[in-house]
Amino acid sequence: MALNPQYDAIGKSFVQQYYMMFDDPIQRANLVNMYNVEHSFMTFEGKQLQGSVKIMEKFESLGFQKISRQITVVDSQPMFDGGVLINVFGRLQADNDPPHDYNQVFVLKPLNGSFFVQHDVFRLNIHNTA
Amino acid sequence: MEYDYLIKFLTLGDSGVGKTSFLYQYTDGVFHSKFISTVGIDFREKRMLFQSKGRNHRIHLQLWDTAGQERFRSLTTAFYRDAMGFLLLFDLTNEQSFLEIRNWIEQLRLHAYCEVPDIVLCGNKADLEERRIISEWRAREFAETYKLPYLETSAATGQNVNRAVETLLERVMLRIETAVDRAMLPGRRGRPKDLNDSDMLAPPSQNCSC
Repeated sequence: MALNPQYDAIGKSFVQQYYMMFDDPIQRANLVNMYNVEHSFMTFEGKQLQGSVKIMEKFESLGFQKISRQITVVDSQPMFDGGVLINVFGRLQADNDPPHDYNQVFVLKPLNGSFFVQHDVFRLNIHNTA
Repeated sequence: MEYDYLIKFLTLGDSGVGKTSFLYQYTDGVFHSKFISTVGIDFREKRMLFQSKGRNHRIHLQLWDTAGQERFRSLTTAFYRDAMGFLLLFDLTNEQSFLEIRNWIEQLRLHAYCEVPDIVLCGNKADLEERRIISEWRAREFAETYKLPYLETSAATGQNVNRAVETLLERVMLRIETAVDRAMLPGRRGRPKDLNDSDMLAPPSQNCSC
């Protein structure tokens, strides 16, 4: 499959749509449609998960309601299988907690004219030394 | 002001159990809060005197607080590393926060300076008696299996808040003094430390008595 020339627009609009769902406690459960039952990997703060069911369980276990988010920058690359690699650098605030910087990487895999999230890696940017 | 011991405590427990309010209550709301954003630590300081064996020790107490990153299960190793004692809180009106205590203890055993660090378990929000879900005997039984001192606290009314910190300080000081006494026994390696001359205690890993 060829490189997708729309990679940058796809990356940006995916990120917007994904976080709109993630940040709203009512819509969060719909994220299940973004992942594949089997062929999706997620690494959430070092915890490895496979498949949409496990990934959704993880999201449901997180103890916040609402997220306020600032997307600082989205970097995307086309992949040789027609997919898109996306790196997000931003800042989030869970309910009334102090804000934290974070980093998230997605790999979108093409499937039947659309995409699903094949890889997803999330980390808060907290360092080991002061 | 000079001090004899710099003691660092860490509050742990699920989001919303009242860690920040607990520390606020302890320091009468007059602490200076300092935030280190790289490790996500908020800490408050308090000076106090600790009496032991007829001597007064000047203590500089640092109370470290999380900044919500525990919701993401992201607490870096540095966060645990330098703490000498732990205040482990759950919410008496929240079953899940109590069930998570087991995980917190496991995290502590993994990341703290030794496998059996000093911990005081606090069932917080004791003022909300009508909403209580975790009974006192259930919490006590749990605490006994892990050999932890247990106190029912209220950050709102101040119930047992001072006592919890004091209980932890007593245990940590006992550990430090035991370690120092041991070092003074004949036939032990190294010479005894003159703690009065050092403005900061050596890292606890070197004194660990467990």
